[in-house]
Amino acid sequence: MEFLQPADWAEALAVKAAHPDALPIAGGTDVMVDLNFDRARPGALLDLTRVTDLTDWGTDGDWLRVGAGVTYRRLIDELAGRVPGLALASRTVGSPQIRNRGTVGGNLGSASPAGDAHPALLAAGALVELASVRGTRRVPVTEYFTGPKRSVRTPDELIAAFLVPARPGAEQFAKVGTRNAMVIAVCSFALSLDAATRTVGTGIGSAGPTPLRATEAEAFLAAELPWETRGAVPESVAARFGELVGSAARPIDDVRGSADYRRHALAVLARRALAWAWTDPGGAV
Amino acid sequence: MSPVVGKPVNRVDGPDKVTGTGRYCGEIVLPGLAYGLIVGAAVANGRVVSIDETAARAAGGVFGIMTHRNTPKVANQPRLIPSLAGQPAPGESFFPMQDDVVHYWGQPVALVVADSEEAAAHAAALLDITYEPGVPVATIADGRASATQAKTLFGGLMPATDERGDVEGALAAAEVTVDATYHFAANHHNPLETSVTTAQWDGDRVTLWDSTMGVRASQLTVASLLGIPLSDVRVITHFVGGGFGSKAMVWPHVTLAAMAARHVGRPVRLALTRPQSFTSNGHREEQEQRITLGAGRDGRLTAIRHRKLSVTSPFDDWAEPATGVSTQIYGCDNYLGDHQLIHGNTMTPTFTRAPGESLGSFTLETAMDRLAYELGMDPIELRIMNHPPVDNHGNPWSSDGMADCLRRGADLFGWAGRDPTPGTRQEGNDLIGTGVAGAGYPVAFMMPVQHARARIFHDGSVVIQTSAQEFGIGVTTSMSQVGADGLGVDMDVLRFEAGDTDLPNTTSAVGSMGATMQSSAVHNAATTLRNDLIAHAVNDGKSPLHGLSPSSVKVADGRMTSTLDPSIGESYADLLQRNRLLDMEALGSWTPPGMDTPHGLLTFGAQFAEVAVDKDLGLVRVRRMTGVFAPGRVLNPKLARSQLLGGMLWGLGQALLEGNQIDRQSGRWALNNLGEYLVPVHADIPDIQVDFVEVEDDVVGPLGVKGVGEVGQVGAAAAIANAVFHATGRRMNELPMTAEVVMNGGGPG
Ligand SMILES: Cc1cc2nc3c(=O)[nH]c(=O)nc-3n(C[C@H](O)[C@H](O)[C@H](O)COP(=O)(O)OP(=O)(O)OC[C@H]3O[C@@H](n4cnc5c(N)ncnc54)[C@H](O)[C@@H]3O)c2cc1C
Repeated sequence: MEFLQPADWAEALAVKAAHPDALPIAGGTDVMVDLNFDRARPGALLDLTRVTDLTDWGTDGDWLRVGAGVTYRRLIDELAGRVPGLALASRTVGSPQIRNRGTVGGNLGSASPAGDAHPALLAAGALVELASVRGTRRVPVTEYFTGPKRSVRTPDELIAAFLVPARPGAEQFAKVGTRNAMVIAVCSFALSLDAATRTVGTGIGSAGPTPLRATEAEAFLAAELPWETRGAVPESVAARFGELVGSAARPIDDVRGSADYRRHALAVLARRALAWAWTDPGGAV
Repeated sequence: MSPVVGKPVNRVDGPDKVTGTGRYCGEIVLPGLAYGLIVGAAVANGRVVSIDETAARAAGGVFGIMTHRNTPKVANQPRLIPSLAGQPAPGESFFPMQDDVVHYWGQPVALVVADSEEAAAHAAALLDITYEPGVPVATIADGRASATQAKTLFGGLMPATDERGDVEGALAAAEVTVDATYHFAANHHNPLETSVTTAQWDGDRVTLWDSTMGVRASQLTVASLLGIPLSDVRVITHFVGGGFGSKAMVWPHVTLAAMAARHVGRPVRLALTRPQSFTSNGHREEQEQRITLGAGRDGRLTAIRHRKLSVTSPFDDWAEPATGVSTQIYGCDNYLGDHQLIHGNTMTPTFTRAPGESLGSFTLETAMDRLAYELGMDPIELRIMNHPPVDNHGNPWSSDGMADCLRRGADLFGWAGRDPTPGTRQEGNDLIGTGVAGAGYPVAFMMPVQHARARIFHDGSVVIQTSAQEFGIGVTTSMSQVGADGLGVDMDVLRFEAGDTDLPNTTSAVGSMGATMQSSAVHNAATTLRNDLIAHAVNDGKSPLHGLSPSSVKVADGRMTSTLDPSIGESYADLLQRNRLLDMEALGSWTPPGMDTPHGLLTFGAQFAEVAVDKDLGLVRVRRMTGVFAPGRVLNPKLARSQLLGGMLWGLGQALLEGNQIDRQSGRWALNNLGEYLVPVHADIPDIQVDFVEVEDDVVGPLGVKGVGEVGQVGAAAAIANAVFHATGRRMNELPMTAEVVMNGGGPG
């Protein structure tokens, strides 16, 4: 197996164009597991850890742009105020060791329906920046996932960054796991309430072939929330919102949980996330 | 110098372990070492039709491939008998690769030996094996109709039925009854070190470095299977990365390693991969238990019927014995315990920490909690009132402590004033509950005579030896303490050596008996040597102690002194040097009292747990646990605490997380790695309190040591389940209690 180590971004894109079958490796926390279990036997590995552009973050107009190689640890330490939902999700990823190495770029690269970054990115209305020697494109994360572990990324493309609105709404993330750490989500839910635009964003994890949005629930809640008065959310609105989130999921029965439990749990998580986000708008810088 | 037994001495093998200088059996480097890898069957029932080795042989680095076509026939297949009995102890009464029949998924069908682990793995992947698959039956759901009543368990060592009085009559007449059925998923051991054997032949003699819980059991089993003298098999084991029962019996890979080394004419290291450790060294079997209790309104038990149904292999009537505690921890004139078996397509299940009694006690102790609610009695008082002074044969306990454990635990935990009403404490989204369970674990005197050797050199340094190896629990340390006190020397001048069949025999460290057996033999060896040295001194005209009665000589720090006048004395070293003795040694032996000793033999304890149950999601988090145990003399409280704490955490894992099931179509275990077979992580572990109740025991050996290896797990899951009931009002009839089980009301009922 070849081990390719580009020194910078331009070289990385050139190498990827020349070796479209080369498997990028960032933190390696998914790649090494796949190699270990013999689920992947790539012809070449493309090591991205020397490409410093990938570990930068900064603003880009109305957006916050975060390099694909920024680790969960850094998201928590440096960006908790700017990406509050994603930072909450990051705290639930694996263990300290995994958070020190794992990246959002890698989460997007794997495109697992259980990836914990995805619901938060969906709720925040993020863009995924894909690049190749042919050029750069920004894809709404809602259009990024095409199936279990599949995305719109073409073989010659690399993930450069993700972008989220520079001024976040009130964001929340909640995950059901069978134990308190080192656990793949049974299901997860992220919520973003943007008082300025009176919009609602949602993201559902581990309950369908891809991470999902609950669009009907978003529209319902945006229309029903007492944005003007900031009064309490009526019980019935919260309940209906939970139901709509549960029914937006497309779960299956598997060893981690049944489809019924996942729908039920998502409704619970949605109601709780709403209560937290509404009473503690926090989040915004 | 004051005695060191009972002191929280640090592990003497700690530095070797943390600096990596300790050599585990998979780290033995030998010239020309080759690497073996087992290929397991990819069907659970059927036949191997063909094995095409062409591509594998062409892969490079391959020294040999063994299959049923060229594997030597075994000389004598011993029947399964627990290794504690000191006889050959195969994990199953079956040896693979003797013919083309497949009985269970993962059964070895080929063994590749190559010049590296990677080359072996690559060649193994290239073996082209085809099967004629049959339909597997491997679960209770599929095998229920074929269940039969077992006559005996454990190769005939134990009756499968235990009956006294008239259970049916007593149940019919009982003022109060409780009836509950439970389903328990299978468990796997998962020590950090998977089993590994390194084998090297020298002419007709073979040396095995085997990660075993009993070097002697490995020696006996391999010698029998290969048909060679015991004296030609040496087993060496200096470090083991955990066993928990998976290394208590001797599984086929150990002998296959020896066969492979002979086949390729080189030393061979054969390690199980993590996935293979789910299919190669037994498991705690899937099981169902049903218990029916009858009692008077006053709380006195009048009847217990306790039945178990489980899945075993085609070869063995194996069931974890589930009724050894329920038959005696509470007094009851009418009792029936029995075991039914389904012979299915699994390997033979095996000992898994607190075998049998952890789930048997879960059944009993959750039923006792139900009974306490039926009666409106405090569950602690109910237990104490029913705990008898004698066992089920009317024999007094060798030592008790049950009531004291419950009372002390209640104090430590803060049980007093608990409102028993379920579902009344809520904090945020969590329902809070507390629960208690009793614990007992048998002290099983199945082993033969135990031996150890003590040897002192003329400079005063000491070596104490016995064969049974350290496997992580701390015996190197605690036996150094026992030896030092027995001989009357400082621990610093003493080295404890073990883990070698060339040393005097002690039996496998299993069944919580390791510390009892070894400490008894070591104590007797050390005190025998002490007595010999004193006798030498008082008979030596040149000794200042000459003429004293041996009983008026005491020893401390390697110096013998007169009890009458402490200024009179000399050191062991002086005595030896003056007499031009380079060393003196003594063999010590201990004959266990036997299974028929007229004593009740259980180690007792009590477990308490507080849980928080998410009322909408069913997630259970354990907030704190308290365990109090009465294991007789505690040789080293630091080590004992670790053992008991570990047991309690196993109980927590068993309660909430650990479970595997066999896929009904393929007959394959659904989970085969630690990413999917979940055990608790640090973030799941609450505040845990471990305490002891001191009991003196002069039956179980010269030092009065009972075991601490397993009783810590007994009752832990039951206390958690009882706490979940207190929190939610829902009885848990299924383990593990996943969130869904909790939400759906607890399982089968
Ligand atoms: C013990 C353990 C616990 C875990 N727990 C969690 C958890 O709780 N939640 C969770 O979501 N995940 C978890 N994971 C999975 C993993 O840590 C995450 O998916 C992580 O985000 C992967 O990031 P990485 O940088 O390590 O990716 P890598 O393993 O390096 O790569 C992952 C995939 O992304 C591709 N890739 C990486 N970077 C790029 C790029 N810039 N452009 C194109 N493709 C790229 C790789 O080719 C590969 O296909 C866990 C993994 C382990 C081993």
